[in-house]
Amino acid sequence: MNNRKPIQEEVEKTLNSLDGMQSAAANPYLFTRIKARLEREEKGFWSRSLTFLSRPSVAVPAIVLTILINTAIFFEFKSEKVQIPQDEETFAREYNLSDNTIYESTIEPE
Amino acid sequence: MDEQFLIAKLRQGDEAAFKEIVETWKNMVYNTALGILQNAEDAEDVAQEVFVQVFESIKTFKAESKLSTWLYRITVSKALDHLRRKKRKKRFAYIQSIFGAGGETIIEKPDFNHPGIALDNKERAAILFKAIDRLPENQKIAFTLHKVEGLSYQEISDVMKTSVSSVESLMHRAKNNLKKLLHDHYQNKE
Repeated sequence: MNNRKPIQEEVEKTLNSLDGMQSAAANPYLFTRIKARLEREEKGFWSRSLTFLSRPSVAVPAIVLTILINTAIFFEFKSEKVQIPQDEETFAREYNLSDNTIYESTIEPE
Repeated sequence: MDEQFLIAKLRQGDEAAFKEIVETWKNMVYNTALGILQNAEDAEDVAQEVFVQVFESIKTFKAESKLSTWLYRITVSKALDHLRRKKRKKRFAYIQSIFGAGGETIIEKPDFNHPGIALDNKERAAILFKAIDRLPENQKIAFTLHKVEGLSYQEISDVMKTSVSSVESLMHRAKNNLKKLLHDHYQNKE
């Protein structure tokens, strides 16, 4: 740089040094790289999810919770009493069996 | 292919349409990122990020603006994020070096030579890019979009979602700041 030149002139020239510049060209293989990145990110999502699920701090509570829910459901159903008709009359009422059913009319008592 | 047609195709997940979009706008995206980041590797990284985001969020693009404006917006935003991340890392490394924690060695940023600058202007352009790097973010973006990408003030206002008069003001302040920085540079050199 010529130091004798006034600074102002240098500043102006430098400020205009980008005039007429050409655009930089991107990598010709950019698309291939983007595709690879998209695939990597997709795989990354599943592997991230699996890694998260396989963490002991996540997996152990998940297993315990599953066992607890299953046990609770098992005992809940076990404690439910099956309604058994008390006697023949109730049974007949329950199943709408009246005297004129086919069984009553065809089978004669001995 | 027509822009609207390409967008519609990409929304359906058409790979050929995506390729067409990348091939059509990759230089624009890369050149913008390069102007802001002043580093070829970082610019390529950001260009990839931009197109990945385009692929993933094309369904949210309302087509109220041109596709190129949307791409400029994503590029600027990604490039600024990248710069902030780098600055944070640099600050962290500096703090680590103070406490002797043996972090990464801090390397002074080398002069940036844009490949599109004519040989006889390279030295001056490198000095100017160094000064641009010291501008506040908004001034840096407006100046880079105007000088490196050749956008008009109207186009810059669309990208930055601001008024033309705001862009004029940003450019005026950017030029004044650059003049001061360059003046100091040449004065210290004497």
